[in-house]
Amino acid sequence: MNDGQPAASAAHEHRLSTVPAKIAVEALDIAFTGLDGAEVLVLDGLDLRVEPGEFVAIVGPSGCGKSTLLRVISGLLPPSGGRVLVDGVPVTAPPPGVGFMFQRDTLMPWATVFDNIAVGAELAGLTKAEIGVRVPELIGFLRLAGFEKHRPHQLSGGMRQRVALGRLLAYGPDLYLMDEPFGALDSQTKAVMGRELLRVWATYRRSVVFVTHDIEEAVTLADRVIVLSSRPGRIRLDLPITLPRPREGRALRGDPVFSRLCGAVWDALDLPPIA
Amino acid sequence: MTAATETAALPRLRAVARPNRRWRLVRDRVLLFTVILAAWEAAGLLGVDPIWVSRPSLIAERLWSLALTGDLWRHAGRTVTEAGIGLLLAFVVGVPIGVAMARYKYGNAVAEPLILGLYSLPRVALAPLFIIWFGIDLFSKVMMAFSTVLFVFMLNVHEGLKTVDRDLVDLFRTMRASPGFITRRVLLAWVVPWMIAGLRLGVGLSLIGAVVAELIGSSAGLGWYIERAGGHLDTTGVFAGLVALMVIAMLGNAVVSLLERRFSAWRGA
Repeated sequence: MNDGQPAASAAHEHRLSTVPAKIAVEALDIAFTGLDGAEVLVLDGLDLRVEPGEFVAIVGPSGCGKSTLLRVISGLLPPSGGRVLVDGVPVTAPPPGVGFMFQRDTLMPWATVFDNIAVGAELAGLTKAEIGVRVPELIGFLRLAGFEKHRPHQLSGGMRQRVALGRLLAYGPDLYLMDEPFGALDSQTKAVMGRELLRVWATYRRSVVFVTHDIEEAVTLADRVIVLSSRPGRIRLDLPITLPRPREGRALRGDPVFSRLCGAVWDALDLPPIA
Repeated sequence: MTAATETAALPRLRAVARPNRRWRLVRDRVLLFTVILAAWEAAGLLGVDPIWVSRPSLIAERLWSLALTGDLWRHAGRTVTEAGIGLLLAFVVGVPIGVAMARYKYGNAVAEPLILGLYSLPRVALAPLFIIWFGIDLFSKVMMAFSTVLFVFMLNVHEGLKTVDRDLVDLFRTMRASPGFITRRVLLAWVVPWMIAGLRLGVGLSLIGAVVAELIGSSAGLGWYIERAGGHLDTTGVFAGLVALMVIAMLGNAVVSLLERRFSAWRGA
């Protein structure tokens, strides 16, 4: 992991060389058939590696195939060409140990906060007794105490995403695929949720692929920011974020390195000029 | 009633009104009911021949005596049994068919004209056939109730499944939930409010089915009682049967409302 930084020790380096990448995307093509019957290439020969424990953010214009990429990694969508390996195994169906989080909370609207989180633990194969311990633990960790019996429609957008995060943690994956998980939240709630996610990541140290269109969010959270071009999506920039951790959004605001990194991402996005 | 109104008839739950407003509503309902009964009674006393409209007091008397002899419970029990078994059977058969219609889209497209044709057919017209097939006892009435309600569950469940959140299903797929788990815990849970909406329509429709079959040929039940009273120009008896049916339907609706409050609240939000 940590591109461009010296490995801590020879043993560490050895471990990295034998452990397969968490995700290896190899020459991935994704094509859709458009309404007019013509093939639309969404991703074109994409190569990408994500190491165990690495936090990668993907930024790109709308329609560049960021979300599609996550669907392919999670086995929801077959590739048109090339392949994706998770833990060295080619993906043909949802692989084990992958947790997904959508922009919309996608909770079960009829179920309580407790049950919405518990279903993740249930699908991870935990027993009833283990669920009874694990779920309250997560509810405390995510500051949802007192809302166990609430249903999603009684919660704010931020709390709903906390519950979705709780379900993901209850499932206990090694890889989090997050598709603009905080994209629908107001900027303050978004900042708070970003902090929560970093707290989760610092606690569990799992691999994260975080799709967003918010450049500052990407630079604040990730070890690496990958910028995709507009359709067909190709990697324009693979930028290591060397900012020290723990990071805090407020302190980063005035940091010249932070500004320079954000600027580099802006430039790579190559937004069309104002007409 | 068209397919659109039956399937779109989802409950819209309103916040509970403030106590004094609720009390006012109850008072005004009782008032309306009393005024109508009083006008009816007066019409009977002031010259309209009871052979046409009977009188509420006579109907109450009749119901009382029928209750004492046990006839009321026998006939009502019979009709409720027929409608209830028909309703239950329609649920048990209709829900899986509705799920299959959503699951096998091509098969559904093939069968759709047939299904809608049968659905549009006035099913009461099947009564003579059902009496030939299933006799004049309980079973033919159960089948009539079943056939009137079946399509409501099929179409409601199918309609509800069309609204399922695809992302929610995908999310469970990424957690490697089995198709059976997704069907039980996501899809069927999702359509519970549609099933209850089907039940609301089903209560009335199953009674229609059972009573129509009783009118045509039977030896017991409220439909039979009404038919026999009509044959004897016993208007009071006809009304007594109608009142009993109305009370049964209202009790059924009250049960459905309880279910709605318990299981459909998340839809109203």
